[in-house]
Amino acid sequence: MAGILFAKIRSFIRNPWTFLLFTAMSIGFAILIGSSGNFNTIQVPVTGSEAVQESPIGDALKENKVYNFVWKSEEDMLEQVETGKAEAGVMVQEEDYQVVIGVDSANSQLVEQTIKEIYMDVLQQEKLYAAMKATTATEKQAIQDKLDTAKENPVFSIQQASFRSDDAFIYDTASHSLFGFTLFFVIYTIAYTVLPILLEKKEGIWDRMILSPLKKWEMYVANLLYSFVIGYIQVLVIFFIFRYWVGVDFNGRFIETLLVLIPYVFSIVSLSIFITALVKNTQQFNTVLPILAVSMAMIGGAYWPIEIVENEILLFLAKFNPLTFGMEVLNGVAVYDYSFDELLLPISILFFMGVLLMGIGIHLMERRHI
Amino acid sequence: MLELMDLTKTFKHTEAVKNVNMFIEKGEIVGLLGPNGAGKSTAISMLSSLVEPTSGDVRFRNKSMIKNPQSLREVLGLVPQEIALYEDLTALENLKFFGRIYGLKGQQLQNKIEEVLDQIGLYERRKEVVKTFSGGMKRRLNIGVAMLHNPEIMIMDEPTVGIDPQSRNYILETVKRLNEEKQMTVIYTSHYMEEVEFLCDRIYIMDKGNLIASGTKDEIKQILSSENSISIKADRWNDEFIKRLQDIPTIQRMKVEEKEITIVVPKDLNMFAAVAKIADESKLELRSIDIKAPTLEDVFLHLTGRALRD
Ligand SMILES: Nc1ncnc2c1ncn2[C@@H]1O[C@H](COP(=O)(O)OP(=O)(O)O)[C@@H](O)[C@H]1O
Ligand SMILES: [Mg+2]
Repeated sequence: MAGILFAKIRSFIRNPWTFLLFTAMSIGFAILIGSSGNFNTIQVPVTGSEAVQESPIGDALKENKVYNFVWKSEEDMLEQVETGKAEAGVMVQEEDYQVVIGVDSANSQLVEQTIKEIYMDVLQQEKLYAAMKATTATEKQAIQDKLDTAKENPVFSIQQASFRSDDAFIYDTASHSLFGFTLFFVIYTIAYTVLPILLEKKEGIWDRMILSPLKKWEMYVANLLYSFVIGYIQVLVIFFIFRYWVGVDFNGRFIETLLVLIPYVFSIVSLSIFITALVKNTQQFNTVLPILAVSMAMIGGAYWPIEIVENEILLFLAKFNPLTFGMEVLNGVAVYDYSFDELLLPISILFFMGVLLMGIGIHLMERRHI
Repeated sequence: MLELMDLTKTFKHTEAVKNVNMFIEKGEIVGLLGPNGAGKSTAISMLSSLVEPTSGDVRFRNKSMIKNPQSLREVLGLVPQEIALYEDLTALENLKFFGRIYGLKGQQLQNKIEEVLDQIGLYERRKEVVKTFSGGMKRRLNIGVAMLHNPEIMIMDEPTVGIDPQSRNYILETVKRLNEEKQMTVIYTSHYMEEVEFLCDRIYIMDKGNLIASGTKDEIKQILSSENSISIKADRWNDEFIKRLQDIPTIQRMKVEEKEITIVVPKDLNMFAAVAKIADESKLELRSIDIKAPTLEDVFLHLTGRALRD
């Protein structure tokens, strides 16, 4: 078994170009896209009366971490949107709002959603105060404190399977594109280390090994372990570069970030053996792989945050996509500061997908005649 | 020693091998001849326990190998039809790898590798990456790798496809030497009848999944004992000549090539005069008319009505 691994690694050292290419692409895209539009610096023009600006809505807008809402006159706001200087603008009243969308982009949808959430929160809180007849600031603060403790210690504890139920959704383009592109490109790297199994079977290298005293399971373990190692090295290289060179701090949980990548890489190795078992030949593999990888990236939220996806079918499909859960665990650790308990479910799902796909993949591989 | 009994393999849509019976004795070189798609590779894959037959049995030393092929696998050396090597590794690294999976190591492995490198004539190039090898060198290494564990039975699936004549001769000589010096039993498939004719004691001929002839070279040629092959040569043909030949009812089969036409006729018939007359009348200049000793090619033509390499 070690022999196969060494042979593979030696071949890899002589021919590391696919690996290097996809590593470089991940890094390149993450830097390019990540630095081109960090939402934290995006200004969104807002119009509203003085009264609104002083109201709780105004405060909530000011405190929002995702966008920088800037008060403007109505003409200025409209002009900025029309000329494309801003992707969206907002008109706010005490109980109602209007979003002016210039470009129908991920960003403008996100602005709309953010505003909607702010209003829902504030209005809910106002109703609460009214119901409790709280008028002074101290009374309100007391209610707020109670509310916060209640939120932290709910009567019913519900495990969250996904961010989507979370209201405070933070979108940080830099880390998002880093995660997205890493998870996306590593699919290629891994898949192209699994594909040779097909060629080796066809050419007879596997026949030779089958006739030798080697065991079947050793052949699979060695091959898949190799794919795993190569895939994992790639994500390690990328993340190390971003940690120590670019200076991303991964929420102070760098090691955990690296660890939660393990189930994802494993699931992609399994997915690759599954595809390899299904395709008829290399050409088919070369056709299927990009289609699959790109749709996984789109559905799983590697290109844009999955939080803005509203289509039910896409959201349903996302549940069968390892990349969705890969993004979730990464964001969970490095952005949302999830506890281990909260990470457990997506991690288990990734392992489950991995075991299932590998089981079916190897079974199909054994049944095919070549 | 090794027997295939009523062996059949059906893939989804193709019957690749139909009810084939063969036997191989120790120390023989047995040829399996047939055109592409005849079912040779499928037959020897079943024989070497790599493909499970749809029906039938493979027996080695009187034991069935279908469920428990271990004793056969131990003594088998396989040269697959494709180049089954790691192309990014050197010749030496490939030999080491395949030697180790058979449990060879240390000095023993070292010695064996040197011996094999000598036999296949690649000692000088052992440190070069296989990818850079010529077709012939790859084929030689493909054979060398199968020799490392001293197999008693060597199965070679078209080991000379697509290489230059020197490399091919080298390989044929190597196979013959292995057989003579080490009493290695060899099963050799090919669609080149010259190779089989040169190497093999006994021959099986397959076509479209069926075994259509078997026996020693002479026995097989006896199939043609009541016929003569006549070779007619010219620089070029004209339609009238060919047409009139085709119209002669006593010509049983006819194969037209660029500069040679082979016709098969009953033995006691003298065709020389007739052919010469037709040539004269259709204004064709002939180079020669000869009676040919029958070849395996002719046997194949006789049995199937087609040439081997169609
Ligand atoms: N794995 C397979 N699946 C389906 N058909 C196959 C497979 N292998 C061989 N065949 C078919 O079986 C027939 C015999 O093939 P093969 O044994 O490779 O012939 P040969 O080695 O004599 O050229 C061919 O028609 C081929 O297409
Ligand atoms: Mg073949």
